[in-house]
Amino acid sequence: MIAVKELLYLYCVTKDSLPSYDFADLGVKVELVYFQGTYAVISSVSPEDFSEINLKRHLTDMSWVERNIRLHEKVIEKIMKEQTVLPFKFGTVFECKANVEKLLKANNLEFKTVLDFLEGKEERGLKIYCSSEYFKDTLCSKNERIIAQDKEILAAGPGKAFFLKKKKEEIVKDIINEKISEYTKDCFERLKIVAVNAKINNILPKEVTEKKEDMVLNAAFLISSKRIKEFENVISCLKAKYADKGLIFDCTGPWPPYNFCKQVSQI
Amino acid sequence: MDNPIKTTQDKKSYLDLRKKERVTLLEILDRALTKGVVISGDIVISVADVDLVYLGLRVLLSSVETMEHLRGAPMPGATEEPT
Repeated sequence: MIAVKELLYLYCVTKDSLPSYDFADLGVKVELVYFQGTYAVISSVSPEDFSEINLKRHLTDMSWVERNIRLHEKVIEKIMKEQTVLPFKFGTVFECKANVEKLLKANNLEFKTVLDFLEGKEERGLKIYCSSEYFKDTLCSKNERIIAQDKEILAAGPGKAFFLKKKKEEIVKDIINEKISEYTKDCFERLKIVAVNAKINNILPKEVTEKKEDMVLNAAFLISSKRIKEFENVISCLKAKYADKGLIFDCTGPWPPYNFCKQVSQI
Repeated sequence: MDNPIKTTQDKKSYLDLRKKERVTLLEILDRALTKGVVISGDIVISVADVDLVYLGLRVLLSSVETMEHLRGAPMPGATEEPT
């Protein structure tokens, strides 16, 4: 028996064995657990890092999180180059190989079904940001409701003008929101047409994005590899279409299909 | 240790790089922390823990800012002659 208990970290599940076990460049020794046509890609980790109590403690240490979550991503991305992967959430840890095998056994059909579905497809990300100041300037000078409100303000006495100005601010806010949802809906729907599946995720706050613009759309798309060009063309068209409307497109990927493996969330 | 940032140009490209890294880190966090297959493994981080990480990210981002400010200033003791 081993004196120091090791834990097993699960990266992803695949249908084929790995073409190479050489993950030395990432400093990881990867192993496989097999059960009837599915492989779990795992590596040993130290309880110092990943025991339940230590993991929770480390989550407040951003340099620890950054180091480990980048590794998680790199291992999966390396495997993804060769074959279809079912990526697991960061921090999925087991106490022994028997438990990993139990997982594969309990979800055998589901894992296979989802892996078959994901084959030949890739995930792309799109975050759209909006510069509301820019938006205000370009939009409000042309909007009829605002022009009418401006006229009313000019004609009114000082007391009334104050309230009309307040009202105008609200109208501006409403119009901006209306327009933003119109634009982002248009972008999402157009891209959805070329995608197999599409998902809208939570908007991330400025404190986390560190951008001066607001995030207005956070979406993920699952695209058939055959239609990637088409998807990219639609992105280019949308960029051109909304270039003068203050929208900034941030496209990323290919990603492991994190957003499209929820079908297997139960055990 | 040598300070790797010698010129304004170096500093600028260092900051650009840091910024780019931060963006990709955010992208990874946005996926690998909140999505991916979730199972009741022996140990798996929960949603409340994810909020902790985002909080941590904010702390990190502000500390990076501070670090960048500090890097812009001469290091105390760096110009002192060895005794």
